[in-house]
Amino acid sequence: MGLSTTGDKKRYKVGIPRALHYYRYYPFWKKLLEELDVEIVLSPPTNKNIVEEGVTHGFGELCIPVKIYYGQVLKLVENNPDLDFVFVPRYVSEVPESYFCPKFLSLPDVIKILPEVPKILNFEVNVKEFPISTSAIELGKQLGKGQTASVEAYKKAQAYFDEYHNFLRDGGSVNHALRLVHRNLPFKLPKKEMKGDLRFLLLGHAYNIFDTFINLDFIKKLHEQGVEVLTIENLPEYLFKKPVIVNPRGGVLRNYWQHEEEIMQAIRFFLTKGRAEIDGVIFLISFACGPDSLISELIMRDMKVVGLPFLEIIMDEHSGEAGMMTRIESFVEMVRRKRKRLGLEPRWKSKIKFYEGT
Amino acid sequence: MLISFPNMGPNWVAFKTLFTALDLDVVVPDPTNREAIKIGVKYSPEFVCFPFKATLGDFVNAIEKGADTLVMAIDCGPCRFGFYASVQERILRDMGYKDIRVIPLDQADLLEFHWVKTLQEVSGRKDLFIYSKYIKAVIYFLKKAKLLNDIQTAEGLFRAYEHNLGDTTRVVNELLEKLDKANTLVELRNFKKVIKNDFNSIDIDKSKTPLRVGLSGEIHISLEPYVNLDLRRKLGEMGVEVHQSLSLYDWVVHKFHLNYHRKWLEHLAKPYVPMDIGGECVWVLGEYIDKAKAGFDGFIHSYPFTCMPEVTARTIITNKLKKIYDLPIIYFSFDEQSGQEGFRTRLEAFYDLMEARREREIKSTPEFMANGQKKIYPQYGGEFYNEIAQLIQAE
Ligand code: SF4
Ligand code: SF4
Repeated sequence: MGLSTTGDKKRYKVGIPRALHYYRYYPFWKKLLEELDVEIVLSPPTNKNIVEEGVTHGFGELCIPVKIYYGQVLKLVENNPDLDFVFVPRYVSEVPESYFCPKFLSLPDVIKILPEVPKILNFEVNVKEFPISTSAIELGKQLGKGQTASVEAYKKAQAYFDEYHNFLRDGGSVNHALRLVHRNLPFKLPKKEMKGDLRFLLLGHAYNIFDTFINLDFIKKLHEQGVEVLTIENLPEYLFKKPVIVNPRGGVLRNYWQHEEEIMQAIRFFLTKGRAEIDGVIFLISFACGPDSLISELIMRDMKVVGLPFLEIIMDEHSGEAGMMTRIESFVEMVRRKRKRLGLEPRWKSKIKFYEGT
Repeated sequence: MLISFPNMGPNWVAFKTLFTALDLDVVVPDPTNREAIKIGVKYSPEFVCFPFKATLGDFVNAIEKGADTLVMAIDCGPCRFGFYASVQERILRDMGYKDIRVIPLDQADLLEFHWVKTLQEVSGRKDLFIYSKYIKAVIYFLKKAKLLNDIQTAEGLFRAYEHNLGDTTRVVNELLEKLDKANTLVELRNFKKVIKNDFNSIDIDKSKTPLRVGLSGEIHISLEPYVNLDLRRKLGEMGVEVHQSLSLYDWVVHKFHLNYHRKWLEHLAKPYVPMDIGGECVWVLGEYIDKAKAGFDGFIHSYPFTCMPEVTARTIITNKLKKIYDLPIIYFSFDEQSGQEGFRTRLEAFYDLMEARREREIKSTPEFMANGQKKIYPQYGGEFYNEIAQLIQAE
């Protein structure tokens, strides 16, 4: 086994696939694992080869993010034959009322049966059954760490993660922040600020929005068109405190998918008080995504009611550059014309009124 | 108030009784058909799972027949199913059916009776929430669901032996009508005998040794013949025994935590998927292992295109279980585009594969021998299964 020794301490080498929840939890995982004395290896950013590999191993009806996960795991293993573990967490539920998409519930189960995959480092988050500190203790056990050390590590990781979130809420972009995390640099906004005359809210799962390969560098394309982009991560915490009730006038339903809930909470603000703060909404969805197929329908219907321009983009491994470009351009044009018609000033980084605390 | 609900194969009989026992008026939608699917597809989100579209089509049909209150079974998380009722209600209202209510019926709630309160509110009838009344409704519902489950069991066996193509199907349809009309406890108590008698009247060829397949998958697709291209019937008419424990009853009893068969399947599946991830994933894995160990000839997994939990089940069977247990398996993922053509060809090819394997393996493997040469499995399935098996075996 590839145990490298520093002093008399053994360090495990753990691989993290750069896919799915990486885009949401990496800072937390990194801190947690490092506090537990682990050497982390990250797979490279998604590329053509990885996607192809994933498409071969995951079959047709899977959504593209999961296929990419397959590809990332295989790449990780291929590049690092000496890994002790691959870190494949099982995210079941992070807030008591919610679940993650079924595919996250069974992630380690479908990965552990792939060829050549080393031992899986388990990290099950399931607050319906036990608190996250217990998850951390279980994680520590697999790495030969005691209870106290694991709980300490968890606390530090959580504190770091909070700091990361605050940075995003101050306007940091996720990809920029992840780069800083990876290089162990302090959180600092880039000097150059992107300024545009329009502002869009970009919705979708983090792995759809921030994997620049699979979405053909979507945010950059918007920037080039002169559009400022907000993502859910940039919005203040208080917007996410109250649950969204789906269909309040009829069969009342409390949304039970955590990430979709965040999407709908964000939308709730822009449908009501925040209506004037953005010019349009784009929802990036992967083909065959279960939750988004329903949520997007609801959002589309709400958008029609308030007259906010809405574009749904479905991505898969065949999405072409040209087609995507045309759709973005015509959408941006349409919105720009609308703003002009209404005689509105360009935005140029105007501050959003979030009505703190309400 | 006129109540309706979507189709799920023969289960309209059970759903209907749940409401008629409360003295509510019920209209049953037409059996799912092309028109319903067309409408469902037109108004549903493009990428939603097929059962959503099919049931939306049923709802529109029911509304046109006069229904104003639609009851939709739901199950909250982790899959899409819990959203069906709310999103469908929204769509129906946007379609112009302004006064329609879609009432979610959480199966876990069947014994907590929130649904009765909701019905009481919606109907404005004060008398629904009377203990003796709603208890009766639930008892009738469960009894009929159990009897439907029994009919399904018998049908799966008998069709493989019938002399005259179509006899079994006719008997099943007659039984459904009879069960629908059986509305006293005495009749329901005796109904098992009726089922046995009616099946026993079918002219069968007892000398046959049919192939045996296990069938499981997503519940709506697996139970509604129109959307699964009448898979069970086709198999039966090809001379294949169909063993399917998945049914409405099976599911509801599971929701009451009383389904020991499912617990057993969970136990079998535990090394591969240790928890319920939605849909039938865990139990499909369990069924596959169970059927493989029992020496079955094949397994069929049917589900809606892109169904999240079933796709996971399929991945795990393909990448792992198939390699361990080597039970031939065929997957059918259905959507509105599924056509008869490729379907038949695939079924026939699968039949040939199973037949060759039986010759080669089942007959020569000691652990399967006892089973492979018997016409009917000893000690397999529930009590009713064994009674039915006797009918076929008795000389
Ligand atoms: S939420 Fe959608 S995209 Fe994400 S894993 Fe589930 S199905 Fe795939
Ligand atoms: S189990 Fe399959 S068919 Fe049912 S809601 Fe989930 S994805 Fe749709």
